[in-house]
Order: sequence, then structure tokens, then C-alpha cells
Amino acid sequence: MYLIGEFREKESATDAIRELRAAGVAACNLDVFSDEPVELPRGVLDRPSRMSLISVLGAIAFGLAATAFVYWAQHDYKVVTGGMPLFSFWATGVITYEMTMLGAIVTTFVWFLWESGLARKRDCSAPVPKVDPGSICLRVRCGAEQAPQAAEVMRRTDAIHIERRGEV
Amino acid sequence: MAPELLPYQRIREDLFRPLSGISRNYAVATVIAFVVGIAGLMAWGYQLRRGMGVTGLQRPVFWGFYIVDFVFWIGISHAGTLISAILRLTSAAWRKPVTRAAEALTVFALMIGGMFPIIHLGRAWLFYWLIPYPNSRLLWPNFRSPLLWDLTAIVTYVIGSVIYLYLPLIPDMAQLAEHNTPWRRRLYRALSLGWTGSDREWHALERAMKLMACIILAVAVSVHTVVAWDFAMAVAPMWHSSIFGPYFVVGAIFSGIAALLIVMSALRKVLHLERYLTPYHFRNLSKLLLLMSLLWLYFTVAENLTVWYGNDPKEMAVFGARTRGPYAPYFWTMVVLNFVIPFILLGIRRLRAIRTATIAAVCVVVGMWLERFVIVVPTLANPRLPVSSSSYAPTWVEVSITAATFAAMMMLYMIFAKLFPIIAVWEFKPHPQEEN
Repeated sequence: MYLIGEFREKESATDAIRELRAAGVAACNLDVFSDEPVELPRGVLDRPSRMSLISVLGAIAFGLAATAFVYWAQHDYKVVTGGMPLFSFWATGVITYEMTMLGAIVTTFVWFLWESGLARKRDCSAPVPKVDPGSICLRVRCGAEQAPQAAEVMRRTDAIHIERRGEV
Repeated sequence: MAPELLPYQRIREDLFRPLSGISRNYAVATVIAFVVGIAGLMAWGYQLRRGMGVTGLQRPVFWGFYIVDFVFWIGISHAGTLISAILRLTSAAWRKPVTRAAEALTVFALMIGGMFPIIHLGRAWLFYWLIPYPNSRLLWPNFRSPLLWDLTAIVTYVIGSVIYLYLPLIPDMAQLAEHNTPWRRRLYRALSLGWTGSDREWHALERAMKLMACIILAVAVSVHTVVAWDFAMAVAPMWHSSIFGPYFVVGAIFSGIAALLIVMSALRKVLHLERYLTPYHFRNLSKLLLLMSLLWLYFTVAENLTVWYGNDPKEMAVFGARTRGPYAPYFWTMVVLNFVIPFILLGIRRLRAIRTATIAAVCVVVGMWLERFVIVVPTLANPRLPVSSSSYAPTWVEVSITAATFAAMMMLYMIFAKLFPIIAVWEFKPHPQEEN
């Protein structure tokens, strides 16, 4: 089941998350909804990301693939170069550079879609709260036995509205 | 009241309001832009039917208005990415109402600029020969050619800029999907990809925006450097210069900021965004424009002074044509428009206002177009073989197509402003990192 608590202040939501984590609720079972980015203090609800690493790997992969392709294409159809090498890093460096950057762009975008969950199959049973401007909603996924304790935590930390929804 | 202090609901209403309804001025401007655009398309059709002979291009001046327009529009495209990315990376709070207008300008300018190599090809229907694909002729494009460098650089820049514009639009579109007409609801719902506003989504968006800002900066600089190398790689007088790359990048940023000022001024008036696009934003952009004007002057002097001092006969022929000969009126008008007028209007604090900033920006845009002309044509008209010297005068076909590109920019911008909020609504609230 899901519990949804609505908060007016970021600090209250932060306290609620801290206490829920201390009570044994895993970070993956907590979601914060808002109409603007809410930056919680470090260690409260960190979402580790591999976006930078993936971006670098994508850039390297695209750059290598582009260079290999250019090398192969220049040898597949040999143009007259007047004794100059068929393939030269200097002469094709721009292609390598641009394709490296394209790799970084494409992988960053694709990883954003994946990491944000926008391109993943969603759990349709999970309710999405309607967030009023300025408020913060905290969604907790918990078992029926944990629900009263979680609701009590939210009440104690100044949730203005608590709602119980759905069955897991 | 400063917009940051307004209730969020009010900000939303103010910024979403321009999306609905069409005013008389908007309709008139659309019709004018449409007519000019159609005239340009007809001129291009005429050129396709009759061949490149209908242009003023002739031996040895094979690059004219089309290449000037290409370099000019690619330069304008530097407005968005550079301004938006630099301000985003430095967490400049005043960027918020400016960034989306700049990012949209980038995408549209690239779309328009990217058309010119195709128009210039003459046989435009064969443009796909540039793309490396397995074919019956067993040929591959020549990857050493700057033409192919242009293709890869511009394709990369277009893809990056579209993504960079699209990412911060997602949360706004999710909000727009809630209340709107059915077709708009469907459009926004599809484009917002089911955005819910969860912390996972916000975190991923912020990370992606930061990374994209870094990447797009590197791409933007490289794109205009590659455009400069189209010229500098040729051993032609006054082109074969090692500072051409940075010179073009500086010019691009300069013209980009000017174009952004014009767009902002128009949007402020037409969409009644006076509360959001304040004199403060114009003042900051004016300072940037002034700085770029000085940098541009520095590069222009450095470029011309070394040529003059070197006194190489081939280079001096081009230098003379630019400064004393048939192209002198363009050269000196360029200096007045790019330096003298902006320096007076923006350098004197008392004169610095929205209206003067807009006038200075218009001067710079015209001046930068002239700069491209002065770089491209005199060199080709005075090649190393003096016997083949010639001149260039554009025909009505080239003028019509050039005018159509400005109309196209206007139309694209007006359509965009009716479909998407021109200011990022969610960004208007203080950013958590700025709060810290």
C-alpha cells in the first residue's frame, strides 16, 4: 500500500524522510513529488547517478566508432592523395571530435530518460499525487503493518494531509 | 514587484497566457512573414529550375550571399547555447527569463543556416551524397573535406541544441497538459513523456542539464571554429589565418547576443512580459554585448594590422579592396555598426536603456552580416592570380532568399511562442543551489 503525505515546508518533508528511513523504510520506497526541484540535504534521500560515467563512455564509443568507420571508408575507396597517407588523424580529427560529442549528447539524453524513469515501464498501481503549487508530497510504499507507524511519523512532522491509497 | 516575489500561481498564469488567443498584430506579422517566406521559396524554385546562373555568382567569386548567410545564421545560433549554458553553469540567477528565448533562437538559426549549403549546392536534390551510406557507386565521401566537417558539426549541434531546448521544457509541458484544449493536451502529454514531478525525475533532469551545458559549450565553440576553417584551410589571401577560428567564435557570440536582445525586446512588447523581462536583464545583456564589441574590435584590428604590416602584395590587394576599394563602404559601415554605435549607446551609462540596447543590437546584427560579406567576397574577387580579378553583385534571387530567412526566423519564433512558454515557468522559483 501507499501513504501520501502533503507538506508545506521542505524542512518538514526532510524530517519525515529522515524518521521514516530510521524506522526502516528503504530509500527506493520513498518518492518526493513537487512542481519544482527540491534539493534535500546530502544523505537524506540521495539518488546515486551514473549519468556522467555513461556520458563519457558513450562519447568514447561514438568517437572510436566514427574513427574506425572513417579509416575503413578511406581504405575501401582509395582516393589519390599524392603520396600522403590515406588516413590521417589530423585531417579527420574534426569528424572524430564531433562524433565524440554526439555520443556524449545522445547517451546523456538516453540515460536521462532511463534514470528518470520516463522511458521505463511504470508501476501502474503506484498512485501519483496531484501536487499543488508550492507544496511537497511524500509517497511511501509500505506494508499494512508499517502503515500506522509511517502515518504517525508524517503527522508528527507537520504533514497537512495524509492519504492512504492502493494495495501492493 | 520582482517576479521572484510574485505568487507562483500568478507567474504561471502570466507566462501561460500568451499561449492562447491571437492578437491582430500577431496575425498581421504572421501574414507578412508568410508572404516574404513564400517569395523566397519561389525564388529558390526559380533557381532550381534555371540553375545557378540566375545568381550573381561567377568566376572567381563562387561564394556570395548564400555563404554569407550561412556563416551569419550559424553565428546567430551561438546565442542560445553559449549564453544559456554559460549562465547555467555559473548559476547566474538573472538567466531565468532569458535562457529559453536564447535556446529557441539557436535551434531556429541552425535550421535556417543549415539550409544554405544545400541552397548553394545548386542541385539541391543531391545533397544526400554528403551522407556516408553504402551505395552502388562504391564511393564514400571525402572525410578530409571541410564540407563534411561542416555537416558533422552542424548535425551534432542541431541534435544537441534540440535536446538542450527540449529537456527544460518537459516540466512546463507536463503542467500545460493539465489544463488546455484537447489537441494541445494530447501534444503536451506526448511531449512531456508522463512527467510526474518526482524527485528521481528532477534529479535526472538537473544532472542532464548540467552535463548538456558542458557538452553544448564544447560543441558550439567547435562548430563556429569549423565554419571558420572552411575559409582558413584555403591558402587564400586574408583567409589563411590562425586566428580565424577564435575570431569567428567571438563574432558569433557577439551577433548571437545582439539577436537575443532584439528577440527579447520584441517578445517583451508583443507578449506583454514587461514584468519578467526587466531593464535589469537588458542591462546585463547590454554589458555582455559591449564586452563582445570590444573583443570583436580587438580581433579585427589584430587580423588587419598584421596583414597591413606584412605588406604581402596578394594580401594587400584584398586589404585595399576592403578598406579603400569597392568594398570600403561595407567595411567602414561594419566598423561603425559593430563598434562605434554600441560603444556610445552602451558604454555611456546614462544612455543604457532597453530602447538603446535594442538599437545597438540591430546595428550589431546588420554590422555582423556585413562583416561576413566583407570576409567572404573581397578575397574571392581578388585571388592570387590577378588576371582573374572580378566583382560580385547579388541578384533578386539571392536577395529574396536572404529576406525569406529573416521572415522564416520570425515565423518560427511566433509559432514557438504560441505553443510553448517562452520563459521556463518552473525555473522561476529560486533554484535550490542558488538558495544554498
